Order: sequence, then structure tokens, then C-alpha cells
Amino acid sequence: MSENTGLAPPKSPPIRLTREIVNAGFKQRVNELSGQHMDACYQCGNCSSGCPLAQEMDILPSRVMRLVQLGQSDDIINGGTIWICASCFQCTVRCPKGIDIQAVMDALRQIAMEEGVDHFGPDQISPELAASVPQPGLVGVYRKLAT
Amino acid sequence: MAKIAYYPGCALNERSSHLDRSARDATVRLGFELDELDTWTCCGAVPPVSEERVMNLIAPSRILKDVRDSGRDILITICDFCYNTLKRTNYSIKSDEITRKRVNAFLADDTPERDYLEKDDSLWEDYAGEVKVIHLMEYLRDELGYDKITESLRRSLNGLKIAPYYGCVMLRPQNEIQLDDPENPSIIEDFVTALGAQSVAYPYRTECCGSYLSVSSPEASTRLCYRILTSARNNGADAIVVSCPLCFYNLDSRQKAISEAYSDFTPVPIFYFTQLLSVALGVEFGRQGFEKHYVDVTPVLDRIGINTGLGGVE
Repeated sequence: MSENTGLAPPKSPPIRLTREIVNAGFKQRVNELSGQHMDACYQCGNCSSGCPLAQEMDILPSRVMRLVQLGQSDDIINGGTIWICASCFQCTVRCPKGIDIQAVMDALRQIAMEEGVDHFGPDQISPELAASVPQPGLVGVYRKLAT
Repeated sequence: MAKIAYYPGCALNERSSHLDRSARDATVRLGFELDELDTWTCCGAVPPVSEERVMNLIAPSRILKDVRDSGRDILITICDFCYNTLKRTNYSIKSDEITRKRVNAFLADDTPERDYLEKDDSLWEDYAGEVKVIHLMEYLRDELGYDKITESLRRSLNGLKIAPYYGCVMLRPQNEIQLDDPENPSIIEDFVTALGAQSVAYPYRTECCGSYLSVSSPEASTRLCYRILTSARNNGADAIVVSCPLCFYNLDSRQKAISEAYSDFTPVPIFYFTQLLSVALGVEFGRQGFEKHYVDVTPVLDRIGINTGLGGVE
């Protein structure tokens, strides 16, 4: 993947919003869990441009914000973005609207895990890694990415 | 000698014991002692975000309450994850009444067993965020003063170009941490200058190294670390200085994978800030745990005439 370093994910096709694909309670749930107001986001894109992991993501952080506003839970829950976010707070620090985007990512991870999607289980770590990574890394990864 | 309550955390207790030891060696020479808490547990490494997860606040709150109960009001930590977790937990207990009540309800529930063991009849007093959590580097800057370090130097690091690396959780989120400017910090730069070395400016000093992704998505972390290390190198750095065990692990051990993935990569030695400090204060080279590093640090120290043999500079 090193050959496309620095490239943003491709633009996705337009979405036609219908009653069937809009998850009405989703935005409210994210608001409650994260303590943030999703509607405050005006799509400036600062979070995506500052995100050190943007190039690893299938949906950029600013797009995640927009999809939550539109109640598009499936794309986010089944996508890779929430699991590649390292909670580094760069987006939180730079958001001109003061939204704690990292908290939104945390809330989304929590919702995904409530639906039974664990990203990283204890059986997926190699023994050498388990024996060498400092403990904050091990505790952090299982607190963030597994129930 | 002044004793200050000290929470090492699990990494410093074992896998990053060289960070712990160099910190203790250095602080004794600066006239104060890191007094490890009698009992402590893991702080949980990452603070919870949603209110529903109050359980994740209990371990750090108990640590903080024990410090308060022992009659002290300052707690020093070194690991950036512990610092972030303890400080943010303290912040939410202090600023949010509901969290404070919930946490204390859990903590009070803990005590009967303790009473049985320790015969503690003292009245229950809610923990309300009285303890001040500070990073060792913050203590050196604000309480001791960097001037005092410069005065105590046995061996200036003059001639060494060092790139400070902050990483993520040491500075952010800034409204709760308030250690330094989250985008343009200077606490490590000033520290490096106080040791007589020259600090190197480069754009990636506050960019994430991948944190715990080195466990779940190692390739992503490899790409991030390559960017950080190469940027520091291209701006003239001889070495990078960090304070977090996980940043150290990612930036140091990951250089093996980076060398395999990128043919143009030149290794960069990584130091803990406490190692540079204790070398500069004249602690023996052999006590620094440099054998735990993946990238050899001796050529860099040799170049500025620090005796990397068994003896110290004394």
C-alpha cells in the first residue's frame, strides 16, 4: 500500500436517502454516547485533512460525521474507519466547531460492538507481539477495539 | 530529600523499566525522590468517553483517592498514557457532579472489604479531584525549573541535535490536559536546550505514531513511524527524544519493519527524556538500559565524547 501514500480514499457515489436506509435513532444515540452535537458539523473537512491515518481509511472522518447526520449507520459500522482511528485527538484539537470527534469515534465503536462486531480479539495477537508491546498498547487496543 | 508521590504504571514497572530507573536516578541527583505509591493498579490506559462506561473510571479514581488519603496533593507520572488517563479522570471528577457521585458510590462500595483487612474506621470522604496529576517533565519545568537542571549538569550534551517527539496523549485534548500548546508545544524543546543540546524543528512532532494500532494494524503504524523518523532525519536530527513507552516502542522497535519496507531508510536512535537527563547529570552509562533499544545509541553518544564504556563520567 506504500505506493499510494498520501492519497485520499476515492470519492463514493451519491446516496439516495429513503425511509428504508435512514436509521432514525442513530444520530441521537451518537449524540447521547459522545456528549457531542452531530449537527454542529458544517463539513469544513479540517478533521480529515489533519488526520494522520486518513490514507488508511475507507471513509474520511468528515464523511463519517456527515453519514451520522444522515442516519447512515451501516456504512460506518461495517466500514474500517472506526477501527483504524488511533484516538490521537488531532481532529478534536482542530475542529473549528469544538466537536470532540474522537469521542464520536469512540461512541461509534461502542455502537458497533453492541451489535456484535469485535474488531480485534485475543486470538489475533501474535505471541511475540504480546510479549513485547508495552502494556498501555495491549490494554488500549482491547479497550478500544473489543468488548 | 523531598519525596513526591509517584505512579509508575505497568509499563514502567516491567517492559519499560529503563524509563523508570533513569527517572529515579536523575531525580535523586536533582534533589527530590520519586516515592512510589504503596499500592497501585493499572490505570486502564485509555479513559472512557461515554458516560455509560463509568466502570473504566474506577481504577484511576481509586489510585487518586489513595494519594489524597495519604495526605499528598501532587502525583507524578511519566508514562503519557497514565498521565492522560489519570489527569482526565481527575478532570471529569472535578468538573462533573454526576460523574463524581457515581464514581464515589463505587469507591465507597469497595471499602467494607478494606475495613475488614485494615481496620479503617475513618469517616468516608468523597474524592472530589483534590490531587494534582503532573507529568515528570511538567514538574521539572514548573516546580524545579529548567535553569536548575542546567546548573546541575555534569556533562553538557552540546553538539547533539535532538528532535523532540510529543505524540498524541501527552498534549491532547488540550482543554483537559493543559500541559502546553497542542499544535505548537515547546516543553520538550526547552528541556533539550536546558541539557545543552540543540533541538531540531520538524513537522511531525505532534503526529500520532499509531499508538495501539501497532498491535491491531502494524502496517499502518509502520507507515506513520517511517514518516516521522524520516522527517526528523531530513531536518538534521541525530536522535529523537520521547517520554511515552508506546511511542518509544513504535519508533524504536518498528525500525526493523521500516528498514525492510523502505530501502531508503536510515535508522534513528530513540531516547527517553530521562535517559538524556541522567546521562547529562553524570549517571553511569551502564544503568540506562540502552541494551533494550533496537537502534544502537552508542555511536551518537560517542561522537560527543560521552564515555559509553562501563564507567561513568565521574
